[in-house]
Amino acid sequence: MKGKKKNLYYWAFVIPSLLAVFFVIVLPLILGIGTSLTNSDGHTAVFIGLNNYRRLLSDEQFIYSLWFTIRFAFVAVILINVIGLGLALIVTQKIGKISLFFRTVFFMPNLIGGIILGFIWQFIFVRAFAGIAEATGLTFFNAWLADTTTGFWGLVIVFLWQMSGYIMIIYISFLANIPGELIEAGKIDGANKWQAFWQIKFPMLAPAFTVSLFLTLANAFKIYDLNLALTNGAPFGSTEMIAMNIYNTAFFQYQQGYAQSKAVIFFLIVAVISLTQVFITRRKEVDL
Amino acid sequence: MKKSLLFSLLAVPLVLSGCGTGGNEGGSTPSEDGQNGDGAGGETVTVNFFNQKPEITAQLEELAAMYSEQSESNANVTITTVGSGEGSAALQARFSSGDEPALMMLNGLPEIERYSDSLVDVSEMEVADTVIDGLLEGGTIDDTQLGIPLNIEGFGWMYNKDIFDQAGIDPESIESYDDFVAAVETLDSQKEELGIEEVFGFSGGENYIANQFSANFTSPEFNHSILDAYNAEELTWEYGDQMQKYTDLINEYNVQPILTVDYSRSVEELFVNDQVALVHQGVWIVPTLNDIDPDFAQEKLGILPTYGESDTEGRIPAGSPWYIGINGNMDEAVVEEAKNFIDWMYLSEEGQEMILNDLAFIPAQEGYDPEDISDPVSRQIYQAMLAGESAAFVHNQYPSGWFQQELYPQFQSYLNGEQSWEAFEENTSQAFSEMR
Repeated sequence: MKGKKKNLYYWAFVIPSLLAVFFVIVLPLILGIGTSLTNSDGHTAVFIGLNNYRRLLSDEQFIYSLWFTIRFAFVAVILINVIGLGLALIVTQKIGKISLFFRTVFFMPNLIGGIILGFIWQFIFVRAFAGIAEATGLTFFNAWLADTTTGFWGLVIVFLWQMSGYIMIIYISFLANIPGELIEAGKIDGANKWQAFWQIKFPMLAPAFTVSLFLTLANAFKIYDLNLALTNGAPFGSTEMIAMNIYNTAFFQYQQGYAQSKAVIFFLIVAVISLTQVFITRRKEVDL
Repeated sequence: MKKSLLFSLLAVPLVLSGCGTGGNEGGSTPSEDGQNGDGAGGETVTVNFFNQKPEITAQLEELAAMYSEQSESNANVTITTVGSGEGSAALQARFSSGDEPALMMLNGLPEIERYSDSLVDVSEMEVADTVIDGLLEGGTIDDTQLGIPLNIEGFGWMYNKDIFDQAGIDPESIESYDDFVAAVETLDSQKEELGIEEVFGFSGGENYIANQFSANFTSPEFNHSILDAYNAEELTWEYGDQMQKYTDLINEYNVQPILTVDYSRSVEELFVNDQVALVHQGVWIVPTLNDIDPDFAQEKLGILPTYGESDTEGRIPAGSPWYIGINGNMDEAVVEEAKNFIDWMYLSEEGQEMILNDLAFIPAQEGYDPEDISDPVSRQIYQAMLAGESAAFVHNQYPSGWFQQELYPQFQSYLNGEQSWEAFEENTSQAFSEMR
């Protein structure tokens, strides 16, 4: 009797969110896979089997965008986590109230939307950098965003700016959870600061790596707003990331079936990479 | 066996999505049903107008309010605006969700064709008779007129008369490509005295500018006809050499890096502040210029044609970028009211006054006195249009997505020296046929 009631409560609480997940995620996914097998243009659709997927293999721009996104994600994930952890270590030092101020400042860029950040930085790269180049004669600051290399690094820099503070917060919370006794015990055993970090703090941070890597990886792959505001794919489509490529196929060319097949492939890639990452980093986590 | 199982699995979502759109064929949303009744007098008829030009929202709303006020049948016209290139995606979303507008602004024949099953024939409407020759064909699919041109726009080399004066160049004397080059070189040699940064402020960072620029050179290939451009299976770049000449000229005398010059820098910063002498732009910049410098359009603004066909034949591309379509899926009362609104907008005195003064449109109808058109450049374009001396808006008839995904990147690539002109022509031409 009691068990039955418990069961009822259980389902009463679960079903609303289950329904929401079904209608918002599962159903569109199924419909999306269905659409990817048609030549839909948004109004009419004819079933064409796997033709869209076959066509993907020879779509140079799609493959380029995918590769560009993977390179971007690789660089961004490493740098964000290094910088995020670095910032977290700095603001958790015993430096008094000012650390609170720094935490806020570092986190601030995350509160600004990607579109706005993109436009602000576009101004910095194009106008402010040109000003610096003129004033100092340093060619390094010339013509940012006008070629592929600076476009790539421009995107990386802005993404770092946006995400590092957020990842820092995650590291801070995990750093704060490391028991003081462990560090103290290490000190008594003669460990210096460097050893204390690598031998004690670093392994204890493994769960934080799982979370942070997952968040940065997934975000780096799915980035769109920043891309749109900062470069919009220019110059010559060379900074067009995968999400933008899909959107443009769907809403500029109106090949929605084809765009959907790109999205399905994209989904599979992101799912495989993120799940592999979570699986690997999970194994490294230590229990106390 | 296996195949049929697979297919039925796949068919489920298809059928589901089919139901989704099928259910909407009725057209009107529940709220409208409630309001319309069954033609019962006194009920309000709501006509929703889907606008893709954010800069005219306020004026359209005023027009709608004026119409609703004078209407005897309790019509209520509402305006929805989504612009900046996202309009057509938003319109598609409105259709997919069943919340269809009664009136919609559509951009060129490819977009009109996509909605052609929903649009009603407008050839019987009063306003259709007054439209300038050749403009209606831009809204015609399979010999059925489905769109009323909103207005006329035109573009070309907008120049700053003051700078030309100071440099001692008479714009009237420019009658060929060579004259144009000579003028550019003269301007360049006097950069410091004139206080200009460079001669050109071409926006190499805006895809629609590349698109419009290309129209100068594709219009003659398509016989200056919108329909020919729309029906074209291929683009051979017959006049590509002219385009290359112009492109090289711009690139040499332009503010660099050309690829990061965007609209706001080109127009709102450089051109309006006399920092560059020439930009490739259209009449839509007039309100912006006047906001910053109230006398700019009257005193300083001029337009030069592009010699796209040959070195001596210059034309200004002009046409209607937007066509108003009427949604036949709506209730009859709504469709009638939508037609009435459009007739009223273009034919009534109040409407015409709004069009000339508040909207500052170049009218797409015959019978206006050119002197009534406020700024000189618009007047020049209206006259060229009436006389049939303009190039056509063929760039709105390219395959969907072609200019964003192919023309613009390839053009940028050439500007940046990444590829040869031959490669540009070959790549864009190949994609044109594939995407058609």
